[in-house]
Formats: sequence, structure tokens, C-alpha cells
Amino acid sequence: MLQDIMTVAETAKLIAAGKVLLLAGDEAALRQLPKGNWIGGTIPYFISHTEGGLATRERIFVTDVTGVVQSVEIVERDANGLAKVYAEGPQEGFSVVIIPALSKAHLSFALNAPNYRDFGVRPLIGWISGVHLDDLGKVTPKVFNGVTGNVLEEGAVVLQATLSPGKVAEVGIVNLFEQGGGDILTFPADGFSAKEVLVNGEKRNFAAYIVKNKLDTRLPLVADYYGALVNISFQGIDEVEGEVKFYAPVFTGIRYKHAKPVADYGEAFKACLENKCQLSEDRVVFSCNCILNYLYSGLEGKKTDPFAGPITFGEIAYQLLNQTLVYLEVHDV
Amino acid sequence: MEVPSMSRPQWSDLVTGKKTYQLKFLAAKILLGRLVHSVKENPTPDNIKSCVELVYNVYAKNAGSPSVQEDLTTIFG
Repeated sequence: MLQDIMTVAETAKLIAAGKVLLLAGDEAALRQLPKGNWIGGTIPYFISHTEGGLATRERIFVTDVTGVVQSVEIVERDANGLAKVYAEGPQEGFSVVIIPALSKAHLSFALNAPNYRDFGVRPLIGWISGVHLDDLGKVTPKVFNGVTGNVLEEGAVVLQATLSPGKVAEVGIVNLFEQGGGDILTFPADGFSAKEVLVNGEKRNFAAYIVKNKLDTRLPLVADYYGALVNISFQGIDEVEGEVKFYAPVFTGIRYKHAKPVADYGEAFKACLENKCQLSEDRVVFSCNCILNYLYSGLEGKKTDPFAGPITFGEIAYQLLNQTLVYLEVHDV
Repeated sequence: MEVPSMSRPQWSDLVTGKKTYQLKFLAAKILLGRLVHSVKENPTPDNIKSCVELVYNVYAKNAGSPSVQEDLTTIFG
């Protein structure tokens, strides 16, 4: 399976050869590519098998899925149209969705995806496109439809892939965090921010609670979804407004706990990857990793085998996730 | 392994939280995280039936997946 960092010219050559590609790169690099069977999202940070973590505005991360797919369809969906993303996925295959960070589609998907019709009936993986951290607030994240040449900063692109016969796709998560032993936190409303929190059932101001308890906000809130641990990362605390902002929404009815501390973020992430090393690199078709893991684990120059791929502003494994690595495996059955 | 019929009691035991299992299939785990809570909040027969349909559907539509096969063996033996 080809997953590698390439020049614009090398990528264009693969497109011209009719390959089915998932691409990630800086906007200027992606804009130079010809039309073809590809979708892409903006981001200049990557982990490659050969060079490890790197930032480059010139090169593109290429995931070639040609070898496992029989056919593909590429569609664009707005915030409302995304509600069909599970139901309209191919019967025997998977879908890859890329959504620009901070777009209406991003916010809508984050809040509503778990309640979309037919949630989970088809494998869905994807990511939230972003920008170089120096460009935050100056440049908008984008997604690309390689078939039409459309570049969107609102809406999503979805690649719906039908697998070759005898193959089946599965989505997985690598999450280095576990729930800690502290308070049970629940929220009175769904959303990307919260002023109020129920701490073991008692109403408190969340910002004041974090400050008073000196919570390390590099560590996320963790929810336990029937054994699947799902993180909510902290974006920031506004002590004046008494408001806490997140990179993914919290939901009412879900019990969160602050993550168990890790002695060394980088070492913990490495150990977590080693547990997944039984995965064959040949079976891992696509993966992406959170920019917070990249920054907090100091992944620049480091490898994360058997995984390589774009660094993202959010990961999608059926629903929006934070501070995880998500991957798509294709098995022979 | 065929996906056992929706009428099998194991499905309702699953969504009511009467029995818990170490499952593998990610979509089902995420879905069950919500369904078990939903049934606790509203344990009416209609809600249980609707939740069973949702989780059954996710397993039935992914029946070829290795983790689904493993889960079905875990739940139904």
C-alpha cells in the first residue's frame, strides 16, 4: 500500500495514471494538481514512513488506495447533506470524508453525526483539514474534489469506495489516554464550549473548577463508550467569561473524566503504538494523527510505524474524535 | 456466522446493560455507548425495541467484518 510524501510532480504523475488517491498538503501545493480520482485536504504536517514527522508546504502526502478498490465515487456534501454519509456509503466498502476545520460542516458533523440515520452501518473514516499553525486565523482550511477541481471551505468531500471482491474494511483507533480516577463530569448541554459542568452531580463553573484543581489541559476529557475511549481536547479557558472551549463537542448524558496523567507523553504514545504493532503495515490502508499528539509527543522527525499519514485538526472514526490516531484496515476474507 | 435474529434476548440484554461484553467492533461500541444510556433514561419496550433494531442493523450490515464475527461469538456463543 503506497503511503508516502511526494513532490507535486510525482503526485500529478500518479493522478495521470488513473490512481485513486487520498491527498493532504498545503493549499498552494494541492492547487497545482490536475483533475482525477482524488480527494484532498489542506495541512502541511505529516508523518512519513521514511522521514518521520515533518512540516512541508511543498510536498504532498499521498495515500494510494487503488489496489483495494473496485470503483469509487467522489461527492461533495454541505452541512445538511452530510447526514446521508453513513446511509449512502457503498454496500461493500468504506467512505473517507474530509471536512474543513471551523466550517459549518465541521460543527454540524461534530454535533450531529452520532444521530445521523444508519450511524455505523458502513465504515467511515476521515479527518478535519487545517492550516500551518503560523497561518491560524489568516488562511482558511480547505478540501478538494479532484474530479471537478472544486476547492471548498464550506462543505465536505467524500470518497465512497467499493472494495474489490473478498475484501472488507475496518476502522480502528489508537488512543493513549484512559479515564483517570477523579470526578465524574457531565454537561447540561451539547457543544464545543461549556460554562457549567456537573461535578459528581453538583453544578459548578467549569473554568473555575479547572483552575482550582490545576487540571493539565494537555490531557483531554475521556468518555467511555462501551469500552471505546473517546477524547474531548481542551482548546482554551476563558477565566473572565468562565467558559471552557473544546476541539470537539461534549454531549449531555455522557460521563466524562479527566484523563489519567501520563508520565511522558511521547513515551506513552510510543508504547501505545507498540501495542498496535501486530497490525500488518500492508493492511493499514490509511491513517491520520491529531496535531495535539504531534505537538505534545514531539513527533517531528519521529516515526509512528505501522502508521503514516496527515496530521489533522480532528480525526473521524465514525464520529469526530480528538487526540487519537485513526486507521483503516482492509482484510482479505 | 449468521447474524442472530433480532428477537434473540441477547440483543435486549445488550442495550439494557443487563449483560456487558468486551466487544471489538468500533461502530457498535460507539453506538452502544449511547443506546445503553438511552435505555437507562427511557426503559420503555418501544425504546428498547428501537435500540435493538439500531445495533442489530449495524452488525447485520457489517456481517463480513472479522471483529463483527468475533463479537457475535462473544455475545451468542
